[in-house]
Amino acid sequence: MTAVGDEVRHIESGPPPTRFARGWHCLGLVRDFDDGKPHQVNAFGQKLVVFAGEDGAINVLDAYCRHMGGDLSQGEVKGNEIACPFHDWRWGGDGRCKQIPYARRVPLRARTAAWPTMTQDGMLFVWNDPEGNPPTEDAVIPRIEGYDNPEWTDWVWYTTRIEGSNCREIVDNVVDMAHFFYVHFTFPTYFKNIFEGTVATQLMTGQGREDVARPQNSGNGPKSTGTTSTAAYYGPSFMIDDVTYHYSDGNDMPTTLINCHYPIDANSFVLQYGIMTKKPAGVDDEAATATARKLGDFIRIGFEQDVQIWRNKARIENPLLCEEDGPVYQLRRWYEQFYVDVADVKPEMTDRFEFEIDTTKPNEAWRHEVEQNIAKRAAASGQPV
Amino acid sequence: MAVRPDVRLDDAPMQPVSCGTCGAVVEARKSSWDQTSIQWNDDALAACMERRASSPRPGPNGATFTGCAALRDAIREAAVRGLLDVVDDEPLKTNPDHHPDQYDTEVHA
Repeated sequence: MTAVGDEVRHIESGPPPTRFARGWHCLGLVRDFDDGKPHQVNAFGQKLVVFAGEDGAINVLDAYCRHMGGDLSQGEVKGNEIACPFHDWRWGGDGRCKQIPYARRVPLRARTAAWPTMTQDGMLFVWNDPEGNPPTEDAVIPRIEGYDNPEWTDWVWYTTRIEGSNCREIVDNVVDMAHFFYVHFTFPTYFKNIFEGTVATQLMTGQGREDVARPQNSGNGPKSTGTTSTAAYYGPSFMIDDVTYHYSDGNDMPTTLINCHYPIDANSFVLQYGIMTKKPAGVDDEAATATARKLGDFIRIGFEQDVQIWRNKARIENPLLCEEDGPVYQLRRWYEQFYVDVADVKPEMTDRFEFEIDTTKPNEAWRHEVEQNIAKRAAASGQPV
Repeated sequence: MAVRPDVRLDDAPMQPVSCGTCGAVVEARKSSWDQTSIQWNDDALAACMERRASSPRPGPNGATFTGCAALRDAIREAAVRGLLDVVDDEPLKTNPDHHPDQYDTEVHA
């Protein structure tokens, strides 16, 4: 018999899921879709067309015309319908063919797939459900106080396409305490996860890494010293992060971050993140938006590093965890509820679970590393430490 | 896709702890004196008085109930009494602001 410590541990990769998660998925900002033109969105393994009719309602349909397979996203919006570029068949937001200009009547069964949509706080959401049911009652996206509020900036929004990774990789981040230090340049001094129902929450207090330059600290203004954040996934793909940035002059900047994604297929997804900040007193809209943009650009650096990790990593079903790691397995147990039929959701997937990490040891190690990095840099530049 | 148990539970499983205030029974695990995981079920959630009395905090995520103080105390007490294992074998830390040398003279004076 081999001693446990002598056995090679094998990674179990497992295939990515064959279906797409049930839930509201944010496709982006309403302002990018409501121009009266058709927009192609590749999501849930399909090609979709998103368009706003003259009535202002935004609709999401399967992009392929049921007549001869024309691509509706290459068509034209006419009235409240999308017209196919091939033979001008007109499709309504309810998925029914409303008109065929050259035909006496529309054939029976002229119905295509339509996705329920919702616009809220400047964002467009689409409801995906492999069972084809309407949105469930527990799938509620909370309101964003700062939207359409003169005291806050508008959304500063980022969109990026991630190839070669299943979207579970980004969801794993919500419990991954240690990666915040290595990938996002902040170290958590407090970290707790709570899963309950369809919501997965992360409570975090973080300090910036002093050995890493932050764009928002350029210039002579006050330096950011850390963050207090409550972030929560509502369903499988939409996270609101209610975060306050603390500054060296004692001022706090309340900020709302969105971190959301939708799957293109099993091995690629579109990651989007948005940011809005409360305008400090006496700061005009332009300057406040510039600050939000700086914060967003810093967040982008972190996400780009995430992407680099995801592109090269293995899918792993049996991660080997130390005690200072977050509840990866319990998070995936929660996440699984969105990949099974509603009738198969088990209490273990939705029962409340709390996990608070002792950050003492990680913080000792990271403080030491930061001090060493600063000392090394000072030595290299010939300045006294 | 099968839901897998946390590999860390192989060596130190969750253990039942009952709340001294409402009697709710949860499963708990302590990695260290400052690290706790808690598995609730419907009955425990329904019994929790702090949860029932809690009101939403401000902000979009304010509806999340962040935790029950009475349950936290019960889990800590269970650990202190040795009824709940603590994975880390470091002794229980005393108050970091308490400096025995500094106060010894006062105590014995």
